[in-house]
Amino acid sequence: MKTSLIALAFATSATMTSAQTIPESVTEPVTITFYNYNLASAGNGADATNKMIAEFEAANPNVTVKGVPVPPQDIATRLQADLVAGQPIDLVQMPFAALGFAAENLGAVALEDIVSEAELAGHFEGMVPNGLELGKLDGKTYGLAYTFSTPVLFYNADIFREVGLDPENPPATWEALKAAGDQIKATTDYLPLATGIYGPTALDWLMQGVIASNGGAVINADRTKMTFAEPEAIEAVEMLRSLAQAGITRNLGITAQMEGMAAGNTAMYLQTSAIQGYLVKGAEDNFELRAAAMPAFGDKPVKPSNSGSALSLHSTDPAKQRAAWELMKFLTSKRGYTIITSEIGYLPLRPEIVEDPEYLGEWVKDHPLLQPNLAQLKNLAPYVPLPGPNYLQIGISMMDAMEMATFGEDDDVKATLTEAQERTQRLMP
Amino acid sequence: MTDLSADTAPRRSARTPRPLAPAKRFLRILRPYLYLAPAIACFVVWIYEPLAQAFVLSFQQWNLLPTSPKTWVGLDNYRNIFDLPKFWQALGNTWYYLMGLLPLAVGLPLVIALFTQDLPARSRNLYRALIFVPMIVPPVVAAAVWRWLLDPNHGILNLGLQGLGIEPVEFLSDPSIALWTITFITGWKLVGFATLILAAANAAIDESLIEAARLDGATKWEIIRDIRLPLLSPTLMLLVLMVVLLGAQWSFSYIHVLTEGGPLGSTTNIYYLLWQFGFGSLSVGWSSASAVILFVGFGLLAAALFALKAKVTFYDD
Repeated sequence: MKTSLIALAFATSATMTSAQTIPESVTEPVTITFYNYNLASAGNGADATNKMIAEFEAANPNVTVKGVPVPPQDIATRLQADLVAGQPIDLVQMPFAALGFAAENLGAVALEDIVSEAELAGHFEGMVPNGLELGKLDGKTYGLAYTFSTPVLFYNADIFREVGLDPENPPATWEALKAAGDQIKATTDYLPLATGIYGPTALDWLMQGVIASNGGAVINADRTKMTFAEPEAIEAVEMLRSLAQAGITRNLGITAQMEGMAAGNTAMYLQTSAIQGYLVKGAEDNFELRAAAMPAFGDKPVKPSNSGSALSLHSTDPAKQRAAWELMKFLTSKRGYTIITSEIGYLPLRPEIVEDPEYLGEWVKDHPLLQPNLAQLKNLAPYVPLPGPNYLQIGISMMDAMEMATFGEDDDVKATLTEAQERTQRLMP
Repeated sequence: MTDLSADTAPRRSARTPRPLAPAKRFLRILRPYLYLAPAIACFVVWIYEPLAQAFVLSFQQWNLLPTSPKTWVGLDNYRNIFDLPKFWQALGNTWYYLMGLLPLAVGLPLVIALFTQDLPARSRNLYRALIFVPMIVPPVVAAAVWRWLLDPNHGILNLGLQGLGIEPVEFLSDPSIALWTITFITGWKLVGFATLILAAANAAIDESLIEAARLDGATKWEIIRDIRLPLLSPTLMLLVLMVVLLGAQWSFSYIHVLTEGGPLGSTTNIYYLLWQFGFGSLSVGWSSASAVILFVGFGLLAAALFALKAKVTFYDD
C-alpha cells in the first residue's frame, strides 16, 4: 500500500515535471517546506539558516518558507513517512549519501527537467565544478551542492603562546602535533588535543581522511574488500594510540569535545569545519581561535575527507517548484554562502566571494580561520560510502575496533584491526 | 488461619450442579471467555503478535523503510550477532548492572524501611518522602543533572574531591568506572520506589505477632530476623524479580543521555545494544534476533526465579 502510494506520488511528479517547465516567477502567494538538518542542531547552523530564510522571504514576499528541522540520519525515513502521509515536501537539505535513494524513491526532481538550460548555466557559473558534479546522477542534477565541510585543526592561540609554541606555525604533521602536545601537557592542565574521529555521529568520515592521508583506505577502490587492517591504516591508528597513551588526547563525547574547546580548556581540536560558528562564539572575548589544515603523516599529502549535503527539490506543483528553485538559488548565491561560511563554517562553493569585500572579503581578514578549509578544497577526497545493506554495521564494527585499538588496554593494534576486518568482511554484500 | 479454611469448605459443597437448558448452559460456558476476550485481544495484539513478528524478522534483513524489501537470510543475523565482541561485552555488562542494582534496589530499601519503621510518624513520613523524590524526577532530567554533578572539570562532586586534594574522577568517561556510575544512578532512582513497597509490606505485618515475640523476650534483631524478614520475603522476592528482569532496562535513559554505551562499549547493555541495532543502524533483523535471544534468556531466568520464589517465600495465611 505504502509502496504503491509512493510510486504513485513519484509517477505523478515525473509526468508533471517532464512535460512542462515552471513559470518565470512566483506571482501568487505560496508556502513551501524546507527540510533542513542545520535547523535541527541547536548550536550549529539553526540561527544562520533561519536568517537566510528570513532574508529570502523579505526579498520574495509571495513565498513563505516553512523550515522543518530533521537530524541528518533521519532524513530518508522522515521523508518517506511524510510522503506517505501526504505532507508537502518541497525542498530538502539532503546528505550526499542519501541522494541516490532520494532520486529513486522520494521523488527528487532533476533541475534540468524543470529549469531552462540558460537559467541553470547562469546560476552554476562561479560554483565549484567538483561540488556540482557530486549532485549529479546519470548526468542530471538531482541535488544542488549546498554545504561542504572538511576536517580542520582548530587551535587556541593563547594556549600556544602560554606554553611557548608559535601560533603562527601550528603543527603541520602528526609528529609536530605530538611534540606540541607533550609541551602543553608538561606545563599546563589543558587537554592538548580533542578529535572528532570517534563517536556515534562521526562514524568513519573523519577516520577515512586520517587513513587516506597516510596513503591507506578503509575499503578498496571497487568497494569489495575492507582494507583497514592494511599497514598504512594500522600505522595511522598506532599513531592515534601513541597520542592517547601519552595523555595528549582523550576519549571524549562530542559535547564534551565541543564544550572543552569553546571554553578554552582544550588546545587543539580536529573536527569538521561545520562547528566553526559554535567555536567562534565560545572564543569571543575569551581566547584567540585559529585553524590549520589537517595534520600530515611526514611528507605524505594530506587527504581531507569531505562531508556535505545537496539541495534536492521534491515539489510537484509548478508554482511551488519555482518558489523552491528561487530559494535554492538564494541559498547558493554569493549572499547565501557569505552567511553559510561566516556563521556556520561550511565552505563557500563560490570561492570568488572570499576576495570580494562586498561579501566575505572583510570577514576573512578578521577570521583567518577559513583559509585552511579553503586550501583543502583543492585536494578533497570524497567520502567513500560503505556498501550493502549492512553498511552501518560494518562502519560501526570497524570504528568500535579502531576506538578500542586507540584507547583500549591491548597494545596490539594490528591484531584488533585484523580480527575486525575479517569480521566486517563477512558482512559485505 | 485455620478458621479461614474452615470457612471455605462448606461453601464449596453448597455449589452443586443443577440441570440447565442447553442455550443457557452454552452461554454459561461461554461467559468467562467473553469476559476474558478484551484482555486476550489486548495480549494478542500488543504482545503475542509483535513477538511472533519479531521472531520472523529475526531471520530477515530489512532496513525499516516500507519500500525496501525484506530478504530472508536464515540464521545469518544470529551468526553475525554472536560474532560481535560487543554483544558479549553487552551481555557481561548486563550481568554487572543486575549485580550492582540488587543491593541498591533491594538491600538498601529494606534497611531503610526497617529502620524508619520505628521513627515517630512525622519524621518517618518526611524521611520517606525525601527518599521518594528521585522516583518522580523524569529520567532524562535526572541524567542531565547528574551529568553536571559528575563533570570532571566543573561538577560539584569533583570540585569537592579537588578541595580534599583528590584528583578529579572521570565518572562517565573512565571505562572502569562509568558502568558503576550508571548503575548507581539507576539504583538511586529506584530506592524510593522499593522503599515504599517494602515499608507498606512492613506496616502490613500483624502487630500482634511482634507483640507476642516481644513478650517472649525477643530482641529487636531477633524480631527482624525471625518475624519481619520471613513475612517480607514475598515482597522481597517480587523486588528481586523485578530488578533482575527489568533492571537493565531502567538504565536505558541514563546510558542514552550520559554515555551512549561508551567509553569503549563499557556501559552498553543488551537492551541498549538492541536499540542501537534497530534504531541506530536501522537493522531490524539484528535487533529482532537479539530481542529473541534476550526473550529466551530472560524467559529461562524468570522461570528459575519463579521456582525460587515458590521455594523461599513464606506467606502469613
